[in-house]
Amino acid sequence: MLLPDHQYLTVDSLSDCLKALRENGERAQVVAGGTDVIFNMRLKLFEPDVALSIRRVAELQQVEELPDGGLRIGAGCRLVDLVEHPLVNERYPAFADAVRAVASAHIRNIATLGGNICLKTRCWYTNNSEQWRQGVKECFKTDGELCHVIKSSSLCHAINNADTPLPLITLGAVLTLQNADQRREVPIAEFYRKDGMDHTVLAPDELVTHVTLPPVADRTVFLKIAARQGMDFSQAAIAARAAGTGADAPQVSLVLGSISMAPIQLDQPARTVEAQGLSDEAIEQAVAQVRAELGELTSLYARASYKSHLAKVLVRRALKALREM
Amino acid sequence: MAKHMISLTINGDTYDLVVSDTQTLLDVIRGDIGLKGTKRGCTTGACGVCTINDSKGRAILSCMTHVLEWDCESITTIEGLESNGELDAIQRAFIEYGAVQCGSCTPGVIMSAKALLNAHPQPTEEQINEAMSGVLCRCTGHVKVKEAIRNAHRIREASSHAATD
Ligand SMILES: Cc1cc2nc3c(=O)[nH]c(=O)nc-3n(C[C@H](O)[C@H](O)[C@H](O)COP(=O)(O)OP(=O)(O)OC[C@H]3O[C@@H](n4cnc5c(N)ncnc54)[C@H](O)[C@@H]3O)c2cc1C
Repeated sequence: MLLPDHQYLTVDSLSDCLKALRENGERAQVVAGGTDVIFNMRLKLFEPDVALSIRRVAELQQVEELPDGGLRIGAGCRLVDLVEHPLVNERYPAFADAVRAVASAHIRNIATLGGNICLKTRCWYTNNSEQWRQGVKECFKTDGELCHVIKSSSLCHAINNADTPLPLITLGAVLTLQNADQRREVPIAEFYRKDGMDHTVLAPDELVTHVTLPPVADRTVFLKIAARQGMDFSQAAIAARAAGTGADAPQVSLVLGSISMAPIQLDQPARTVEAQGLSDEAIEQAVAQVRAELGELTSLYARASYKSHLAKVLVRRALKALREM
Repeated sequence: MAKHMISLTINGDTYDLVVSDTQTLLDVIRGDIGLKGTKRGCTTGACGVCTINDSKGRAILSCMTHVLEWDCESITTIEGLESNGELDAIQRAFIEYGAVQCGSCTPGVIMSAKALLNAHPQPTEEQINEAMSGVLCRCTGHVKVKEAIRNAHRIREASSHAATD
């Protein structure tokens, strides 16, 4: 499978990059590590006129210590550099676990944090070659008018499969988005949209430049279930955070991934354990409240019914893990 | 389609190449240079047979990266492991432990093992599992591959003693 025809543009500075994005708009595709872009190009899901490589932009590749004890991480940092970074491991162990859980060592050697945060959604239909897809009707992603995943839907139901956004949401991370004129700060909890086609609030001329992590002293955990540990996309994953100690958990946040078009921030289950503590009974009550917040489930790397089961298993395991920390 | 001049060092030899926007590193290694040891497998990052080492000795999937990213870089392919007619310790370990069957994944598996040993000459089980998770061998089931990796250290030491004797 050859790559579709395009112009490959390499920029050395952030300002050149933003200028090029402004000039090329929707015709351009940013390439960071390229591990998702090349996959999509081979499947002819991305056919940009211009592939804009940001790999040489040094401004995007720093990890900065903030005076408040937080970290500011450049979107162009490679996952391998974060896995090996002492401060990332020390201050944000659940985030470090999620970074380590992305794909394989080979891919982490080149893939970036920004690419993981902006990872395009996937579904069982578009995960096939162009020839295969042509045997079936085109979908929203391939200029058609339907979603194969949920046939009656007017939305694309492709799944957001990225692992690192889950802990970043529980940690209250803020993304810096920048275009040629201005910059804005968007909490990552508000970055994703429930639409597989247009899955983030990022504008075509904008780049994610940095991820800012506030200091966090709470207990945190990240768990992922995949067909093969250490290579595959998640069938389901969870990040969880709790204040307090032992069974006392006055503030809890639970975020599930690889279930839907966007990460799911569980509400009722978190409120239940906040009110009742992390006793086995309260945890079971929280688990029983999970399904109602998942919305429509679809199959990708696991059947929809199994994903619903995994979501509950992960909530139970994560809450018990927090209790033991 | 526009063409570009790049300079790429492979196994110590520097090539001045004319490449196009849409070529991957793998396309150039196999097609333009003619080094066929590096294999083309799934081309979507799942099988690892196209693995090469970058200048830091890290495992990289050559099918998943534009060749234009590699201007002025230096890489090692499976052909670059032997020196003066002698195979690298990891290659000899693969032979000794029978870690090869059909052989089609072997270059990628060895370059992944080499990257691991570059960073950790005596890796732990966990490090082996992590480093080798990106390549698939459908014949050996990875058991013999792991045996070879665990023993590469011993084989390297034995040969360096022999050389000084
Ligand atoms: C075999 C395989 C297994 C994988 N397993 C996992 C997994 O387990 N978990 C997981 O989360 N992912 C997985 N991935 C997907 C992907 O490799 C990772 O998400 C990776 O982190 C993407 O980073 P990248 O730098 O390569 O992104 P790229 O491919 O360069 O970019 C991905 C997307 O983000 C956009 N983008 C990149 N950087 C920016 C930026 N700074 N601002 C705005 N937009 C940007 C690009 O335009 C593109 O749309 C897997 C991929 C493969 C091939």
